[in-house]
Amino acid sequence: MTDLPGFPSRRSFLKASAAGVAISGFALAATAQPAPPIQLDQYQPVYFSDVEWAFVLAATARLIPSDGEGPGAIEAAVPVFIDRELTGDFGTAVDWYMQGPHNAAADPLLGWQTPLTPAQIYREAIPVVNAWCEEVHGAIFADLAPDQQDAVLTAMQEGEVELAPEIRDFFKILLQNTKEGYFADPIYGGNAGMAAWAYIGFPGARAAYKEWVGRHNIAYPLGPVSISGDRA
Amino acid sequence: MKTILRVIGGAAVLGAAGLAAFVFVPVQRTAAVTDLPADWTAPEGAGEYVMYAGDCMACHTAEGGQPFAGGRAIHSPMGTIWSTNITPDPETGIGGYSLDEFRAAMIDGIRADRAHLYPAMPYENYRLMTEEDIRALYQYFMEDVQPVNNAVEATALSFPFNMRFGIRAWNWLALSHDAGPAVSGDTPEDRGAYLVDGAGHCAACHSPRTAFMSQDGITKADANYLTGGEVDGWHAPALRGPGSAPKVWAVEEMAAYLSTGRNAHSAANGEMGLVVRDSLQHLTDEDNLAIATYLRTMDGAPETASVAEAATTTETMLTEATDLDLGARLYLDNCSACHFVDGKGAAEIFPELANNSIVTAPQIGGLANVILHGAELPSTEHRPMKLKMQGYADRLSDEEVAALATFLRQAWGNDAPPVAAADIAPFRAQAAH
Repeated sequence: MTDLPGFPSRRSFLKASAAGVAISGFALAATAQPAPPIQLDQYQPVYFSDVEWAFVLAATARLIPSDGEGPGAIEAAVPVFIDRELTGDFGTAVDWYMQGPHNAAADPLLGWQTPLTPAQIYREAIPVVNAWCEEVHGAIFADLAPDQQDAVLTAMQEGEVELAPEIRDFFKILLQNTKEGYFADPIYGGNAGMAAWAYIGFPGARAAYKEWVGRHNIAYPLGPVSISGDRA
Repeated sequence: MKTILRVIGGAAVLGAAGLAAFVFVPVQRTAAVTDLPADWTAPEGAGEYVMYAGDCMACHTAEGGQPFAGGRAIHSPMGTIWSTNITPDPETGIGGYSLDEFRAAMIDGIRADRAHLYPAMPYENYRLMTEEDIRALYQYFMEDVQPVNNAVEATALSFPFNMRFGIRAWNWLALSHDAGPAVSGDTPEDRGAYLVDGAGHCAACHSPRTAFMSQDGITKADANYLTGGEVDGWHAPALRGPGSAPKVWAVEEMAAYLSTGRNAHSAANGEMGLVVRDSLQHLTDEDNLAIATYLRTMDGAPETASVAEAATTTETMLTEATDLDLGARLYLDNCSACHFVDGKGAAEIFPELANNSIVTAPQIGGLANVILHGAELPSTEHRPMKLKMQGYADRLSDEEVAALATFLRQAWGNDAPPVAAADIAPFRAQAAH
């Protein structure tokens, strides 16, 4: 998969995370009291409408299901991350070149060609997918059974759900944002309690492993630490 | 009965007369310790050098203000003292001061109008300066400093400290030593002692204070001289005695600390960072080496550094990372990327935390401030980089800072008492130095 604009390359991610560690002390709120974990059922979406929220809850719950070995997208509060992300720089494409001419149907190798921002794509694509679900399965996505939802997501991935060129990348963006919300630092709303990090054994923003470089085949004993200093 | 009344009356009259004399009879100025010819002039640059050695800039220049135009708030236990304008402006500065009046301010703490200066002015120490240095300094302020018309806020302490004549009695205690240098000779040790005791006024912070708030230790002859003091909740570490930095660091390392604010062991923070920035970096290498030599040798042979076994124990615990209390875990999560599991940091960049006087100080203010609000090294000519440590006020609660501070104070052989969360709280609202 090619990088979407605004999606960091591996190199820029490494650079950005090094800088993030360096500046993290200045960027945070002026209190050391850790934010209470987000209760998904009490969360008031900032960007999504009720119908959109129901869709994102249901879709992310199937992309990273809760019945696997690790936490699912719901336990990790991934939908909160996406809701916040879409109101931020990424969602509003604030630092992308978004002037015309636009040829949304251009070869995907030419990158982002739609005039829509990611937030606008969610807004326009979700009703189309829901309409497709009603037509094929008799209910909107959120009301389908899990195996039906899996079938819809697979159809979206295969391009079998007809989407206009302007919103054709919706599934790709949704999947990418779901992974981001699962693995990003909890400061952005997802990865609640660093559950995803703990699951894969990533020790977080500690940035001090000099002693471990040569210690092969010894399990690293510490749980992760987040940018805001929380421990898990 | 009449006799008793007469005695009481007589005593009252005598007392009133005595009090009136105490308040109104002008105080005498100390004469120059050396008779210099009237036409004596200081060599080029000598006066400015004495100004740097005496760090006049630090107090007599307001933040963002004109040099030496005064108006900086000096916080004292008695209230705020506003530093005065010492530019040669005749109206608001010292332009009207004669040499004798200037000298009296420097060594007796007496203004031109014979009122007493508050001892925020370290005339207890400047008293030990040579006449040559005082005249050079006078010449510098009169001829080289630009006059600035700047009327500073008058110091208004609350009663009884607003009665300046009371300082007369205080001076009987504080100025019991003779004017003029306590050392003679041209050895580096003597030159170091002269700078430390006189212009450098190190004892103003690094000696404790007596019950009357005068310096408890002006020269080496005094028992508590340079055994550590307190400034604004920070501990000014002892400069003599077992484990003190001058005993543990090599002369060259101490001289590097003085001239650049950093060396293989430590970094100058808080008030000391300002002293390096405004004063010590402007001294010659010879003078900083002389100060370091004097401090290292004044009480006999220096110690040889020993590697504490406790240092290895802490290092092993942090390396294994299997059985950590909260403080040690916080150290790994927040500190060890720069200060490392051996607590040694990196020479001239990250200060060593083992045997670090800020870490192990009796007053927690320095350590709490650095953890909460970070620190910044002064930029000096030899080491211009203002290395900065971020603050952790937003990452750590008071309980966590206390646990971390307690860990630091007992790690790598450090042996200082633990810290409670309540000790940290007062420093959270305080801005960083």
